[in-house]
Amino acid sequence: MTMRAITKVLVANRGEIAVRVIRACREQGIASVAVFSEADREALHVLMADEAYPIGPPPATESYLVIDKLVAVAKAAGADAVHPGYGFLAENAAFAEACAAAGLVFVGPPPAAIRAMGDKTAARRIARELGVPMVPGTLEPVASDAEARAIAREIGFPLMIKAAMGGGGKGMRLVRQESELEAALRMARNEAGAAFGDSAVYLERYVAEPRHIEVQILADRHGTVLHLGERECSIQRRHQKLIEESPSPVVDAAMRARMGEAACRIARAAGYVNAGTVEFLVDPEKNFYFLEVNTRLQVEHPVTEMVTGIDLVREQLRIAAEEPLGYSQADIAWRGAAIECRINAEDPFGGWLPSPGTITGLRAATGPWVREDSGAYEGYTVPRFYDTLLAKLIVWGADRGAAIDRMTRALAEYRIVGIRTTIPVLAQIVAHEDFRAGRFSTQFLDRIMPALTSERGRLRSVAVIAAVLAEYERLGHRTLPEPPPATQDAWRLGHRRGWRRA
Amino acid sequence: MKFVATIDGQAETVEVTGDHGRYRLTLGGEVWEVDARLTAQGIYSLLIDGVSYVADVTDREGACVVDVGDETYVIQVEEATRYIIRTKGGAAGGHAHQVLAAPLPGKITHVAVTVGDAVKAGDTLLVIEAMKMENEFRAGTAGTVAEVRVQPGQAVNAGDVLVVID
Repeated sequence: MTMRAITKVLVANRGEIAVRVIRACREQGIASVAVFSEADREALHVLMADEAYPIGPPPATESYLVIDKLVAVAKAAGADAVHPGYGFLAENAAFAEACAAAGLVFVGPPPAAIRAMGDKTAARRIARELGVPMVPGTLEPVASDAEARAIAREIGFPLMIKAAMGGGGKGMRLVRQESELEAALRMARNEAGAAFGDSAVYLERYVAEPRHIEVQILADRHGTVLHLGERECSIQRRHQKLIEESPSPVVDAAMRARMGEAACRIARAAGYVNAGTVEFLVDPEKNFYFLEVNTRLQVEHPVTEMVTGIDLVREQLRIAAEEPLGYSQADIAWRGAAIECRINAEDPFGGWLPSPGTITGLRAATGPWVREDSGAYEGYTVPRFYDTLLAKLIVWGADRGAAIDRMTRALAEYRIVGIRTTIPVLAQIVAHEDFRAGRFSTQFLDRIMPALTSERGRLRSVAVIAAVLAEYERLGHRTLPEPPPATQDAWRLGHRRGWRRA
Repeated sequence: MKFVATIDGQAETVEVTGDHGRYRLTLGGEVWEVDARLTAQGIYSLLIDGVSYVADVTDREGACVVDVGDETYVIQVEEATRYIIRTKGGAAGGHAHQVLAAPLPGKITHVAVTVGDAVKAGDTLLVIEAMKMENEFRAGTAGTVAEVRVQPGQAVNAGDVLVVID
């Protein structure tokens, strides 16, 4: 078998994942080419890549989702491979085909495998043939609202609407009763169309109190298919993951082997090559059900890297270059525990509304066993056109408890000023006794949010009180006792002042 | 003394009495007993029901920026009479009148109401797409739709008035 030399990679993405891929390229002496929309001229991936080229207006449909432009830039820049990252065109078989037709190596699975697995309904048909357990639902996309209504009555409520070409929670809606179905279908289709360029959706029975646990697989072109264990991704909001960890607190070695074996079986059946993820729902009795295959690198891949010591992006590039993996399942060992927190530009206590805007202050967490994969920097303006993910904070600990302690410390260090982020809610989640005990499902965050929000409401009231008292003073009510002489902790005040330069 | 504090586009009336560091404030229908000290310029120590808060209050372009806990809030504070004159009635007018302003920049993807529609609290008014998410906005109070200032496909900036309910 011939090996394909990869010397220059076009990264068909933006944000933290583009930065992650550029770093992997640099570590292997591979040149990197960034692309950017008009909204991303100052984005970090543009600053970090060796070369960068504009690809059009801010909306992704006119830039990051335009196959012809990406292929043309790759050819013009002399790239020999294209890494799609996640989202955008990462699971688009037509993009993989267009790359191949232009003589570019697509860093991902073959188009046929993307089609077979990337179409969630086709993947469900394969899993059924292999006898892998799965959640009841449609094996084909639903064509019309009328058909959806008829099928929904058969499946029963509550049910889930999911994007056939989806992932990352986009185009996914929970429908509790029939009256919500039509509106939910419309929103799911709109989101799916905007995010994946395909608005097809399917229906699936809703499993109560499930855990979302997924298995990382790696497959080379020489017949080796292996798994790197699981990631627990049950801490979610709006069906989007917020905190991920490996290993899962409920998976033991035997269950890991069974889930891993099922994942590898599906990958082999689909002729899968490169890195991929097989997602499962796990019920409270620890039965697992096949959900879907993500034919790409996952956002949360770093937790697997931290516990296995395997650089997944490096492996993706090696596999794309047709190198053999060079190790087997028996060589995979897991050590310690890793947790990832997603730092999103969102207001967690304001209905998770996106919070675009300028980051006026930023101090990232550092220190022992802390990793930050970020696309943001101080002075950066978060555009309103793309995903809210700004950065991922990842820690490793000798065991889960140590990792939680370390994450608590790291979140306390991490400061972002100027926009709202998920940092405060992440800090409250990792401090929650049920999180520490590993007692949670995908419902966990929805359940604890009202209490967290009311705590936040109190803080908001305290802020109003302070502001009103300051104004009361300013209007001449000099009733507050005089400040004591300057004996305060100078470090603390100095530090606070540093953050006032907004 | 009465004030109106505006935070995240919402105006709230706050009444203050007391002196020498001990105050009673009424806000959001609740009474707060507050022991306050200015520990350095702009840095307040507040004791409320035994819980200690340190609030860092700075002035930025006429608004108060308050750092408390791990959060930062931007709050406009005005003496109530001034606020009422400036807004010609404002929130203190007592009239159940709801103005839905865009809380974030984005694109209108769906408008669910037209002028004259009767809405209940919780009814969907419109959907704004921003950062790849569809965000649904619902009526906070029951009433009649008096104005719809946007249409699907339109881009909006934060603060733009979208729908007015009387």
